[in-house]
Amino acid sequence: MDNMQHFLTLISSITIEKPWGIDIPNYFWFTGSSAAAFIISSFAHVFGWKKYKPIAGVSLLMAFVLLVAAPLNLIDDLRQPGRILNFFLYGWEDFPTSPMKWGVLLLMAYPILIFFEAQALYRTYFVKKAQNSRGLARVFNMLFTFGNTDLSEAAMEKDHKKGYILGAIGIPLALAVHGYTGYILGAVHANVMWHTPLMPLIFLASAMVSGTGLLVILIPLFQRFLSERKKVDRDMVATLAKLLSWFIVADLVMRFLWLTFSLTFADGEKYALYQYFSLHFEDTLWIDYVLCLFVPLIIGFTKLRNIPSVVYFGGIVTAIGVWLFRWNTVIGGQEIPRTTPGFSHYTPPMYGQDSVMAVLSNWGILFALICAVLLIFPWDEEMQDCYEGVENAK
Amino acid sequence: MDNQDNSRRSFLKKGFASTAFAMLATTGAEAFSLQIPGRDKKDPKHIGQVGKHFVMVLDLRKCIGCQACTSVCKVENEVPHDQYRTFVTETEMGEFPDVRKGFLPQLCNHCDDPACVPVCPTGATFKREDGIVVVDNEVCWGCGYCISACPYDKRYFNKRTKTADKCNFCAQRVDKGLMPACVETCIGGARVFGDVNDKNSEVYKLIHSFSTSVLKEAQGTHPQTFYISLDSRIEELFSTTQSLDDIVKAEEGFKSEWEKTRAEAHNHG
Ligand code: SF4
Ligand code: SF4
Repeated sequence: MDNMQHFLTLISSITIEKPWGIDIPNYFWFTGSSAAAFIISSFAHVFGWKKYKPIAGVSLLMAFVLLVAAPLNLIDDLRQPGRILNFFLYGWEDFPTSPMKWGVLLLMAYPILIFFEAQALYRTYFVKKAQNSRGLARVFNMLFTFGNTDLSEAAMEKDHKKGYILGAIGIPLALAVHGYTGYILGAVHANVMWHTPLMPLIFLASAMVSGTGLLVILIPLFQRFLSERKKVDRDMVATLAKLLSWFIVADLVMRFLWLTFSLTFADGEKYALYQYFSLHFEDTLWIDYVLCLFVPLIIGFTKLRNIPSVVYFGGIVTAIGVWLFRWNTVIGGQEIPRTTPGFSHYTPPMYGQDSVMAVLSNWGILFALICAVLLIFPWDEEMQDCYEGVENAK
Repeated sequence: MDNQDNSRRSFLKKGFASTAFAMLATTGAEAFSLQIPGRDKKDPKHIGQVGKHFVMVLDLRKCIGCQACTSVCKVENEVPHDQYRTFVTETEMGEFPDVRKGFLPQLCNHCDDPACVPVCPTGATFKREDGIVVVDNEVCWGCGYCISACPYDKRYFNKRTKTADKCNFCAQRVDKGLMPACVETCIGGARVFGDVNDKNSEVYKLIHSFSTSVLKEAQGTHPQTFYISLDSRIEELFSTTQSLDDIVKAEEGFKSEWEKTRAEAHNHG
């Protein structure tokens, strides 16, 4: 009887492969949050919104580390990671039609651009640091000045301009770096859940949510425990909470458009999607929407945003909620049948490639990178100067 | 002195620049490829039989669901355990006592406008000039984009080669003038293979004398495997979200065991 069971199962549900496992939602989450952090840093650097100036530097650094850690997920998801060069060398013919190929250029250009923008922002601080240090530390700090030790007004003005230009180029690039991941999925017409032109926009909207959610948690942590000030800027927390709510509104609008069209007005595919969402109705509604979107939405739009601990809670749940959304989209999309009856299931393995441990390690790398940039870059002094600038102006 | 110095320096500079340029131009041109090395070198295995267009006709009136094709394919192509390039789905249709069995042999459709080819970021998968869609498993880096893109679930990661794999119409045999293994072994004669550009071929005659249909036409991939007598109810099976298997097993309390087997079979190889 046992054998019979096995046999029947295999014949009825042969060769459904789910090529993309847990690494992929994690990758999407990382690039998305990076794009959001970059946009927030551009509020000050490009649009000149003074309010965001003190956190612009740290946001830029977070955008950088998130994007350095993100592609490791992709490499881990490959079955032949040793052939990574093939991606760069061959198949350029497919460039116009393979969104994955666009990643070659985007994933290389974007972190380099952020690095140069951060260098322009922190150059003068590195000069000062180098002057106050000796030996190896001096050489190290000098490296980041790119040999330019000019501290004059004119030189600083030049840095500022460089930051502005790089930031302005960076905005479309940041949007593209995450938008292309949505495009990767949206382009797959075989998958009824992914195939919508809205996918890049849905991804961008939810990315803004997760990125802001992450900053809402990280920035107060840095300010409280790692900076000279040793205190949290509560106004900033409230500002970010409100910003988060606006991003949630954008995200909800996108999802509303997507779901209402694909569940009701689409052709044959709507039945499968309808089934899928009916099956997951309760958890999607209560966790994804009520807990992870509506609750933080209310926090940001009401007086609750003045209570930091409540805002932190909102930040955490949105960040988790968006991760779940990425998971539900990437994995859920692959669970919908295409040639065999019945939904299939995916449970990530605990160890090995593309496993729970792999994703946790990736987070470990992210935290190591955060520590490294916080140690290397004089973010604290810069943040302090911004606050003093604001207070002096008063 | 100054002048000499300058001219030497400029000589060195120019020399360096031109050498660098020459190096980039020669090695660069060779290293970077619009396609893949095998296609650039016009390897016959990659080019195929120019002028021909291979298709398969599946005459469902003759299929008896014996799975001879399924097993011979595994042998011929060394397909790993639990993985398949072709298989025959077996279904029951109707309501007792008016029931009948339905069989649907499935394989890569070697689509004319394949969904899997244009998305491949390494160029490892491509369409030969004779219409056969192949994967170069020495180039594929195993990203799985083609697997996601195929609307027919006809690609998988080969556990042995760790690259994307699927039916190649037995190109290794066809190039030697043989038939694909499944065609040769099909006892009912349900699988017919040949060059549709040749008006004397059996496939040409079948396609032109019977009405044929393809799977999931709406996907726009223009499949090149044509079915005779395809029951639309079988196709419906593709999008049903619960199978008889599911229901029976759930009822009989096999659910957990079944889910386990299924998870084993489905999670990455
Ligand atoms: S059936 Fe799938 S794998 Fe085969 S050519 Fe068509 S899209 Fe590609
Ligand atoms: S798995 Fe291989 S053949 Fe498929 S898209 Fe990726 S590189 Fe191309």
